[in-house]
Amino acid sequence: MIDIILAIPISAVICLLLFGSIDFFWKLPNAGGVSGSNAIEKAIENTGGDKNGGWMIANIVTSPDASAGTLLAACGFYIWGIPGAIISIILVYIGARICADKGYAGTSGALAATIVIWILTTFAGFPQESFIAGSVIAILFIQGISAKYASRFIGKIWRRLT
Amino acid sequence: MTDLIIILAIVLSLLGGFSTVFVRSSFDKLICLGILTSGAVLFLVNKGYLDVAICVSLLMPIGTIFILLLLGKKREETK
Amino acid sequence: MIVEGICIVIAIYCALRAVFERNTLKKLPFINAMNFAVTGTLVLLMPHPITIGVALAYFVGSTLESNAIASTFASRENQ
Repeated sequence: MIDIILAIPISAVICLLLFGSIDFFWKLPNAGGVSGSNAIEKAIENTGGDKNGGWMIANIVTSPDASAGTLLAACGFYIWGIPGAIISIILVYIGARICADKGYAGTSGALAATIVIWILTTFAGFPQESFIAGSVIAILFIQGISAKYASRFIGKIWRRLT
Repeated sequence: MTDLIIILAIVLSLLGGFSTVFVRSSFDKLICLGILTSGAVLFLVNKGYLDVAICVSLLMPIGTIFILLLLGKKREETK
Repeated sequence: MIVEGICIVIAIYCALRAVFERNTLKKLPFINAMNFAVTGTLVLLMPHPITIGVALAYFVGSTLESNAIASTFASRENQ
């Protein structure tokens, strides 16, 4: 059983890599989904941000994507184990349809997060609530500190990968 | 441990309530009402009213959407 | 204990930064981060199977509300 103070930073990095790679796979920094995300991206770009990073932050705000799937899968796993995570995957799919989002970013994020969390808690001894704190800290680093520098960082990585 | 979460609910409710009064723009007031409902949902879940919490957290955004639709219609009528 | 403390501190920090931010559209990422933290706090407060539904309803509601505010603000700016 890993100590929880050590498990939280490791799980934050794992969650960041997880939903970052799934969002890049579904091409989220490429274009906006709805008109609200256009407005937020323009506001970020006007105050010195980057274009592709701005699209990604706007898509995270206005639609449930892989970051929401990771958080809700972690919550479901904490409450009830594998059945709880499966319930949360189904509910994330329904919730994405309610928000009129045609993509599958949220559902695939929840599925991948369930597999990763199950492997790490069963075989590596992570405590189960460390992933909730890890995903909240990961979102804080993307949206909560400074949208300008985070969007520049994300834009640089996106342009290097394509 | 529940006490710390109740302190979070108190801070969010008071912050949302007072900032709704003192902020100028109408869109900012709507955002601050959202902060207030976060505190309210935390109070509801603390006492065990889980179904009431589901109803409140689904109905408050629908009310906000109605307010925004009325904002658009009022602007069209005054033109 | 530590996990609740992290979620509480992040929620209060993001709410304060959202209230004191000037630009309306740049408040919305802070509100989204606050909703993430409040969703985590809800689950840690009462670990009951129905709380999964409460957390999901709260999160989907808050995303819908942010989306509606952002798109109404955008269409009002374009007029």
